[in-house]
Amino acid sequence: MVTTKQEAKPEAASGEGPKSTSALVVGGGVAGMQAALDIANQGFKVHLLEKSSSIGGRMAMIDKTFPTLDCSACILTPRLSEVSRNSDIKTHTYAEVKSIARDGTNFKVKIHKRARYVDEDKCSGCADCVPVCPVEVPNEFDQNMGFRKAIYIPFPQATPNVYTVDKRGEPACRATCPAEVNAQGFIAMMRHGRFDEALEIVRRTIPFAGVLGRVCISFCEAECERGMLDHSLSIRNLHRFLADYEIAHGTAKPVTPNITKEERVAVVGGGPAGISCAYQLAMMGYPVTIFESKPKLGGLLRYSIPEYRLPRNILDGEIKRVIDMGVKVRANTHVKSVKGLLEKGFKAVFVGTGASQSNKIGVPHEDAEGVFYAIDFLERASTGQEIALGARVAVIGGGDAAVDSARVAKRLGAKDVTLIYRRSHVEIPAIPGEVEDAKEEGIKFMLLTNPIEILTATNKVAGVRCVKMRLGEPDYSGRRRPVPIPNSEFTMAIDSMIIAIGQSADPNGVQNECDCTEWATVNADQITLVTNIPGVFAGGDVVTGPLTVVKAVGHGRQAAESIDLYIRGVDMAEGRHKHLHRVQSYEVDKSHKESEDRAAMPKQSVDSRTHNFSEVELGFSEATATAEAERCLECAVCCECKQCVAACTRDAIDHSMRDEVLELEVGAIILATGYKLFDVSVYPQFGYGKYENVIHAMEYERLINAAGPTGGHLIRLGDGKIPKSIGFIQCVGARDVQKGVPYCSRVCCMYGVKNAVMAKEHHPESSVSVYYADIRAFGKGFEEFYEMAKTRFGVKFMRGRVAEVMENRETGNLTVRVEDTETGELHDIEHDLIVISPGIQPPEGLEDLAVELNMGLSDEGYVDIANKVITPVDTFIPGVFVCGCADGPKDIPDSVSAGSAAAMRATIILARNQKEAQEDG
Amino acid sequence: MDEVNTAANTNHVPSSNFAKEVEAMPGGADIAKCIQCGMCTASCMVASTTDKYRPRKLIQMILLGLREEVLSSDLPWLCMTCRMCEERCQENVNLAEIFHAVREIAAREGYIPPAFKNAIDVVLKDGWMLEDAYSDFIEDDRDDLGLDTDLSWNKKFVAKLKKKYFKGVFIK
Repeated sequence: MVTTKQEAKPEAASGEGPKSTSALVVGGGVAGMQAALDIANQGFKVHLLEKSSSIGGRMAMIDKTFPTLDCSACILTPRLSEVSRNSDIKTHTYAEVKSIARDGTNFKVKIHKRARYVDEDKCSGCADCVPVCPVEVPNEFDQNMGFRKAIYIPFPQATPNVYTVDKRGEPACRATCPAEVNAQGFIAMMRHGRFDEALEIVRRTIPFAGVLGRVCISFCEAECERGMLDHSLSIRNLHRFLADYEIAHGTAKPVTPNITKEERVAVVGGGPAGISCAYQLAMMGYPVTIFESKPKLGGLLRYSIPEYRLPRNILDGEIKRVIDMGVKVRANTHVKSVKGLLEKGFKAVFVGTGASQSNKIGVPHEDAEGVFYAIDFLERASTGQEIALGARVAVIGGGDAAVDSARVAKRLGAKDVTLIYRRSHVEIPAIPGEVEDAKEEGIKFMLLTNPIEILTATNKVAGVRCVKMRLGEPDYSGRRRPVPIPNSEFTMAIDSMIIAIGQSADPNGVQNECDCTEWATVNADQITLVTNIPGVFAGGDVVTGPLTVVKAVGHGRQAAESIDLYIRGVDMAEGRHKHLHRVQSYEVDKSHKESEDRAAMPKQSVDSRTHNFSEVELGFSEATATAEAERCLECAVCCECKQCVAACTRDAIDHSMRDEVLELEVGAIILATGYKLFDVSVYPQFGYGKYENVIHAMEYERLINAAGPTGGHLIRLGDGKIPKSIGFIQCVGARDVQKGVPYCSRVCCMYGVKNAVMAKEHHPESSVSVYYADIRAFGKGFEEFYEMAKTRFGVKFMRGRVAEVMENRETGNLTVRVEDTETGELHDIEHDLIVISPGIQPPEGLEDLAVELNMGLSDEGYVDIANKVITPVDTFIPGVFVCGCADGPKDIPDSVSAGSAAAMRATIILARNQKEAQEDG
Repeated sequence: MDEVNTAANTNHVPSSNFAKEVEAMPGGADIAKCIQCGMCTASCMVASTTDKYRPRKLIQMILLGLREEVLSSDLPWLCMTCRMCEERCQENVNLAEIFHAVREIAAREGYIPPAFKNAIDVVLKDGWMLEDAYSDFIEDDRDDLGLDTDLSWNKKFVAKLKKKYFKGVFIK
């Protein structure tokens, strides 16, 4: 990537267009703001680029400035509003440089502006959205000490005063779900006990909170990020809880039809795909009619999935909700022609007839008495028909239908049920929990075995002849192919056999009017689900072949969306693919989470459940469900529950916003990228990150700041006590050859002294000590300030670097071990709070920017200055200037003067360009 | 304050070139980097058990050129080479190496603390440290374990060593 970029900017190429008279300032801290103001006040246009959601930079975080002890915000805030009021400054917040290419003397800059999901022109900063947001994350502006919501402004004076939605992308659970159920969203509401809103979020995408809460294969749980830490969340059982809670507490709101549109839509097949499609269409206001060949809606949910897994009252209840929305049902109706439906005036038809023909096994005597096919068997069991089942039953297959058949056979009274599957327990496709339950119930799993012949006596099943298998090379599906072991055949006496080796679509079904594959499944577009007949859409098993309920439900929703677009005459394919970034594992901070067990599902005992069809899984209690919801890592931060959208009275929040790329052409660039603090946790002897009461200076700034997490109260975060004795450790992560930071950070001595003085200001009776190697009080008024700290405030200064900090586990107090080098005595001094003063380092991302500019960096990683004496703000690249801490540590006044200097150097170029343009013009 | 301003105190010239001498020794090269911050003393295991030993002060003495004082004292011999000071020193001063170099100079000039000298004398005489403690019981134990009970080869080895390396330079 780097090399291609560099090719694109030959230095000698001369630009075609006029030389630009505008500038770009990268970094909206105090130095960048100063540079932008100084350029703008000379009448040139400036683009001020800021990575975070507000300009202000580090100075906005700081409590007081040294050596005058002025309030930092009081100085900065007028500057912030000056920048925002200046019409020549265009501020781009939440944006980063994407690429820079040289074009003659101009720079062509591409800016990646991240979506903040809030309209900057509409938002008034009223904060109505904040209380409704269910997601809380550590507040990086408060150095992760306090919390903020997913929709936030970093500080009260944020400029622009516009809220930002922190949406990192799409969480793994939602990205994996074929029906796109917003798992993180409803779980976020659940942890606050807002079960009604949580259920409403589930029902935005699926009508089957309770049904899928019982029978879903839960792809989401396999991808759940929590699984990388301990165990994935029990997502399926959580939305089942929501449905159960609604029934138990009678909180369901009556459903009223809201059919507003004229265009009628027909749905052929009343299975999960059809119901889902009808549900979505009815929500949009379309009049829908479902045609179902069976007496009742539900498809395989009703006629195949046994009642002990899915009680019919749950299914009936959720289907009734869909019907109550105004969906018409024509049961016991065979649709003869899809085209006929179109002719009858339906504007669109959805075909979701499923795949409910049992596959044949292809061994001799398959037609013998006592051989059943799973779909037929399960349907007869579900509808209470008589089944002549023997005592010894063999079930062939390893899918959910096979396990269901085996468990139903057990419940119907079979003594000995054996499941025969040709691969091992690793490849078995049934839901693992179901396999476990079946084993508990006494079903025998005969794995790596394949039937080769059904043995009969007077055309009645008497036994099965099987061969043992071994696993060979993986086949096209990625599973290892079973290979028969020669001479391993054996015979087993059985009375009945249930064949459950898969289903296929009805080869004579109505879907054959559309273009179909050789397996009688419809050739439909994967995203839009359009078939070759205009106005006819297909989804569910009739397209995919036998798959999962959740996939069928997802297809129903996808098709409903296409049907709406089709009827409105809009392009169906455009913008349908997912554009949100899927949140990756490394992007989710799991460092402070402790390992916890997944909530166990209470089950009926084996003895009481194997003789009847009462539900096996009993559901979570409210306490279990809330506790389980608490485990969610909230990978994407914003969960798209859209509570903020409802709360916003100005319609400013738009969750469909996308990142933008802006192109600028500028004549000069000023780098004001600031710094990052040294990560003091690399010094194990100081215990930062391990001991609660060891904090670093920026955390201390937020603690003493009136807008900080404690409202300006200097307390220990561990126990809330007021520290009676505070120690400041200087020179950590600065002037350390071994840690790669040999240079002095220039500001630590003075901010350390300032912090010590502020500690005395907050708690005059407390004892404050500063441990230092040298005090470098080199600036104007600094030495006086240092002297004042000693004499007027009584801060103790001890010359000696601290070797280690030890924690008293009971009191949380800390003992520092230090040599007073002025007396040569070794001391162990106890403090209540330790504040480490870290050095400063080049900011993250400066290297990438340097690559873009084709610019070298110094050994320490700062921007290199061409001539430190005469041109202290010029880089080696003509037209690129630097200010603030980007070229080395600076305090605020020095950063600001560098900002002004860089602005002047930049405007020399801009003024020359302007003059040339006027002469040409 | 008055004292500081006198000519004698502002003349910061080391009393000898001892620091340069140490610097020239293998391992002594980094001594001039020391900024006397005290990190070493506060980290030192030995310093935490005795007030006598302060690594920072010892470095200071070397830098000040107090050659005789350093060489004739026990201090360079008290470092137990745990290297915690080196681990933490922000200037990358290798104290254990420096003290090793100082010990070498001291030994060359015959400054060896009696305890160390006695130990060496015993080894050179007996071939090993613990001949006094060698009893019949140990001999039996060695015998039971199938080990050689005759340890006189130690002496032969030491004699060879002496002949090759010591040449009677400082061992009386």
